[in-house]
Order: sequence, then C-alpha cells, then structure tokens
Amino acid sequence: MEELANINWAIIAPILVIQAILMVVALIDLIRTKETNGPKWLWVLIILFVSTLGPILYFILGRRQ
Amino acid sequence: MMQWMTLFKKELLENWRNVKWIWVPLVIILLAILDPLANYYMPQIIDMAGGMPEGTAFELPEFSPADAVMMSLGQLSTMGVLVIVLMSMGTISGERKSGVSELILVKPVSYWNYVSAKWTSYLLLIWLSLFLGLFVSWYYINLLFGELSFVAFIQVVFFYGLWLTFVISLSIFYNTLVKLPGLVAFLTIATIIAMSGITQVFSHVLAWSPNMIAQHIHEMLLIEQIPGDLIGAAIVTFILSILLIIGATFTLQKKELAN
Repeated sequence: MEELANINWAIIAPILVIQAILMVVALIDLIRTKETNGPKWLWVLIILFVSTLGPILYFILGRRQ
Repeated sequence: MMQWMTLFKKELLENWRNVKWIWVPLVIILLAILDPLANYYMPQIIDMAGGMPEGTAFELPEFSPADAVMMSLGQLSTMGVLVIVLMSMGTISGERKSGVSELILVKPVSYWNYVSAKWTSYLLLIWLSLFLGLFVSWYYINLLFGELSFVAFIQVVFFYGLWLTFVISLSIFYNTLVKLPGLVAFLTIATIIAMSGITQVFSHVLAWSPNMIAQHIHEMLLIEQIPGDLIGAAIVTFILSILLIIGATFTLQKKELAN
C-alpha cells in the first residue's frame, strides 16, 4: 500500500467531503419527508452504501414531488 | 412584473425545499473534477490495480490544460446533461399531472410568466452550478496540469453555459408537450442524441449547431482566441433556446385551454 502514501490527500479530500455532504443531506431530507417512492429503509441502505450515486438516485427518484 | 417575481420566488423556494440548491451544484462540481483527477493519478491507479506487465511499452500521455478542460466538459456533456434532464423532467409535467398547474393557472396568471419564471429559476441554478464546478476544476487544472488564464475559464463557463441553457429549454418545452416526467426525459435525451448524430454527419454545413459548442471551445483554448464558429454557434443556441421557451408557452396554453 505504498502507493496510497504517494497520493496527495489534500487534493483528494474535497471529493470525499462532497460525497459526505451529499450523503448527509440525503439522509436529513429522507428523515424529514413523510413519504418516498418505495420503502424508506431501502433508501437508507442505498444512500449509505452506494457511494455518490446513492444520494443522487434518491434525490432524482426517491423524493415525491 | 410583480406576478413574475412572485412565481419566480415560488420556484426558488421550491428548489430550495427539495434541496436542489444543495445537491445539483455538488454533483456538478464532482463531475467537473472527476476526469482530470482520475487522469492525473492514472499511473498510481494502474499501480494499485496490480501494475502493468513487465516491459509494457505504453507511455501515458501528457495532458495540456486545454485537454483537462475538455475532460471536465466531457463528463458534463454526458452525466451532467443526464442529471439536468432528470432533475427538470417533472417541473411542469408533474405539476400538470397532479393538478398544481391548474391551481396556479386558473388565477389570472399568464402562461408566459409561469413558463419563463420556471425557466429562469433553473437557469440560475445551472449557471451557478456550472460556474462553481468549472471553478474548482480550473483550480485543479492550474495546480496539476499547468496554467489556464482566468479569462479563458470565464469564456468556457459562458459558452458552455449556453449549451446547458439549450438543454434546459428543450426539457421545459417537452414538459409542456407531454404529462409523463419519464417521457419528458426520454424525449429530451433522444432529441439531443439525434441532434448530435445529425451534426456529426453534416458537420461541414452545421458548424453553428449547438452540439458543436464543446468542440469549438477546445479550438478556442488551443488558438487562444474566440473562433467565429463559436460565436455563430452561441447565437444559434441562444435563439433556439428563446424559441423553445416561446414554443413551450404556446403549447401549454393550447393544452390547458383544451381541457
């Protein structure tokens, strides 16, 4: 895992931060809304475990307009 | 004008409530920096994935700042356009299906105000997201690939923003034509793909097609001045967007009056 040390983490950090914000915003929104398309617990799993794409999918498909 | 501002504020509030103002800029930033970073770290990524076989004669290409900008635009042109189409697919069609638009339009609200307020609120969201996304990407490009002037960055944002303006105008037009959000997204994407195909086949006569904007931007970055074809394509794109919004107003009027 020497290669991992060669990567400048200051450069990668913003990506991780954006992913984290997306996940948190999606979860907060999920808790606040009454109903979603499909079961709520499934969305929790998708948001938590499908990185980046999970929260985006929730925003596009999961929210009831 | 007062009425327009009220509708516009309603749209801004709605996009704030459904957190579009948070996630769309973040996703656009992510898309804009993904490819430049991935390409920059390609040697490490290949090493981590097990490395290349001994004696492989494969030189990783060196990228110029202009190449890096094109990587950002490449992601935005595919995934970015998809996200924009999907997030706007229900904006009018959904309201028509659920009857919200009837509630609004039963009052003496002009169709033009209703459509243009929506259009403007989405434009604001997309232009801001694009600016932020390309700004972060510009920062990385200067850091990793070499210098790209701030003026060049602003030019890229301006011309590429026109292309995204066209995409959202197209989506709003289809929003008034059909009531199913999924169909709106499908028709919008199908139209963009068809236009791109036609532009490729007849590229010698369609230099001013909206689909050519990204290509012209590359040229602009290489020759460091604005090519005439880019200005032509920008004007065509702008006029088409306005026509689509006017068309959307008429279609909505016709459909609502028919009910």
